[in-house]
Amino acid sequence: MKQGFRQSMAWLHTWTGLLVGWLLLLIFMAGTASYYREEISRWMRPELPASQVSADVAAQRAVAFLQANAAHAETWFVTLPDARNPAIRLFWRNPDSMVKPPVEGERRRRGGGRFGEATVDPNTGNALEARQTRGGDFFYRLHFDLHYLPVMWARYLVGFCAMFMLVAIITGVITHKKIFKDFFTFRPEKGLRSWLDFHNVSAVMALPYHAMITYTGIVTLMVMYMPWGMKAAYPQDENAFFSEAFGGLPEITTEAGQRMPSAPVQRLLDSARLQWNGADVAGFSVVHPGADNAVIDIRQRDGRRLSSETPALRYDMVRGTLLQHSPEAGAATATRGVMYGLHLAHFADWGLRALFFLSGLVGCLMVASGVVLWAVKERPKHARQGRIGFGLRLVDALNIGTVAGLPIAFAAYFWGNRLLPVGLQARAEMEVSVFFYTWAAALVAAFVWPRRAMWAVQLYAGAAMFALLPVVNALTTSAHLGITLRTGDWVLAGFDLAMLAFGAMLALCAWRMQHWQPPLSAAEKKKRAAAMAHAAKTAEAGA
Amino acid sequence: MMLLALGLCFSAFVALSLATEKHPVAMQGRALIARVDRSAWRWVGWALLAVAFALSVSARGWALGPVLWLGAMTLAGIGLAFGLYPYRPRWIVPAACLVPLLGAAGLLL
Amino acid sequence: MDRPFATESRIHPSAHRRARFAAHFARPGWTVFARSMAAMFGGYALASSTAVFLAVALPGARGQAVLTGMLVAIVVAACAALWAFATRSALRAWLGIAVPALLLAAAAHALGAWS
Repeated sequence: MKQGFRQSMAWLHTWTGLLVGWLLLLIFMAGTASYYREEISRWMRPELPASQVSADVAAQRAVAFLQANAAHAETWFVTLPDARNPAIRLFWRNPDSMVKPPVEGERRRRGGGRFGEATVDPNTGNALEARQTRGGDFFYRLHFDLHYLPVMWARYLVGFCAMFMLVAIITGVITHKKIFKDFFTFRPEKGLRSWLDFHNVSAVMALPYHAMITYTGIVTLMVMYMPWGMKAAYPQDENAFFSEAFGGLPEITTEAGQRMPSAPVQRLLDSARLQWNGADVAGFSVVHPGADNAVIDIRQRDGRRLSSETPALRYDMVRGTLLQHSPEAGAATATRGVMYGLHLAHFADWGLRALFFLSGLVGCLMVASGVVLWAVKERPKHARQGRIGFGLRLVDALNIGTVAGLPIAFAAYFWGNRLLPVGLQARAEMEVSVFFYTWAAALVAAFVWPRRAMWAVQLYAGAAMFALLPVVNALTTSAHLGITLRTGDWVLAGFDLAMLAFGAMLALCAWRMQHWQPPLSAAEKKKRAAAMAHAAKTAEAGA
Repeated sequence: MMLLALGLCFSAFVALSLATEKHPVAMQGRALIARVDRSAWRWVGWALLAVAFALSVSARGWALGPVLWLGAMTLAGIGLAFGLYPYRPRWIVPAACLVPLLGAAGLLL
Repeated sequence: MDRPFATESRIHPSAHRRARFAAHFARPGWTVFARSMAAMFGGYALASSTAVFLAVALPGARGQAVLTGMLVAIVVAACAALWAFATRSALRAWLGIAVPALLLAAAAHALGAWS
């Protein structure tokens, strides 16, 4: 293009942002919500008791449950309770002989019956009896697996959007000439200028976060997006790549041996803790459980490292002897581990997690203000012609339906969780449907009437849905603010309070939208000033 | 420690914003501010950011410390640019003095 | 932008056709399309070549080299997109991406990839 470097970068920024902006908004909102996925899941299953059981007791109960329900599995995976999730999460892999072929007409379970999972109450050792729901995991999966699409297609699409976002971030920085001068500049009530200021400040204030989350997001799935190096360097045996590149203990390829009882798991966990000078156990996995060559890999919980690669110890589960330490990660493995760890933020305690969540929200505001900014900039060109062109109308509708409509859908998902009958068939899927039907309704309404009034209507609807959620909670459960504030259950209370806060923010936006006045032109301002001066003179003369 | 780091980042940002032309207009104590040279505010701001960085690293190590520092800057910057400057400019200077003190007090508790 | 060819009676008819053909590609819609293709497909190809080259060329453990290649490839893809739109013409956009991609692929093949 016959234009300068900055202008071409500005053009690229506009289009990489606009073309995928609405999908990015969904990804960003769902991803930001995922920071609190455990807490959301807890709120969505209020029947679950908070439990204070030691890790050893939890581990014993986990093993007992698995011995009773998954005795013939090839591998067991156990995640012990932690501060954010009081339940024991179990996962197991069945041998090929147990995999049932798909029945004609029956909805195919993911994995085809190869995997089993359970959530166990560490207080009782039994599977948790709580309403069937996907909880916060829905948002987590949504932000990279989307929904209604085959998972692989969804991940390619999300990766494509993420690359666009990465280019948008870089071009944004290049285009923003006065990035330091205008670092703190936000001038409200000035129309297009304000939208641009808002977009700039929200982008720059969390710029390290935005760049990090986008790049690390792509890194998380990079083996899928960029497998060619692996295929070139490991032409025959890709499995070797995975065991060499992703650190950790080598895969076990032997067959299961004779049945033999294992050592008590508590002894093994104690031994691991001794090796680690007291660090906690996050969980463990067992290969060939119940066999004479059963092996247990115990994973460390370390809150001081960014990397997702945590040290592990491998023990012979029958004799209790230490077999192996997990190897030191290579430089690239460690780098990738840090990238993945930063994206997941598993290391984050309540304070850091709140900061990540805030940065994610700022990211949502950045994307939203970007797409709105484009419409605000475009509108005067259409006003001159007297009618809104197709492109602007489309953008307006998508803006309303997504920026204002998605929050309604998020709130509706929580309403569905409280209002749908507990014993309903396919309840979890129904809750998800509520989310999408609500979003669809918001989009349809926006396409029918893409005007300022619709903005206000949808923002007010979102505000009401969020603000009334604690009320719905109180009417349908006994885990409402009246009780949780008293007992100091900050997860549940915090959720309700956050809903009130979102409701208030949306109400403020809605109110401003409703009472917006178009800025006066210079001629209008002069006329008004003259009229006021005249009125003042007449009043003086009369007095 | 996090509160203190946050407070120092906030004060640092206030100092840095004073070094730019646009902002001192509506603030409390602008006569006092005007007496100090603009580039001096830049030094103060960067120094406070460095102290906040050191505190963050000493509290959480070299891995989590920088992450905490960056997050604190984001929060401080958003509060200043979207909250105080456009809507409550008179609160800025008092807050810049008070918030780090509150953070320091939090340490002692 | 076109010069008035009709008045130049000494120009051969085939030169007219070539000139009109070239003018077609000078339209802004076409350059945007060409650059976008260079950025997306060319960029992905360049990133892939980089990943393969690094996977076979970097010293040390194979697994580490492959991972490094992937991490770098992402950045290369983003830079390719910037190049495709910053450079003077759509042709330069394509050349600046395709030539390095082919060179890296050739070097990787020489080092043992796809052998």
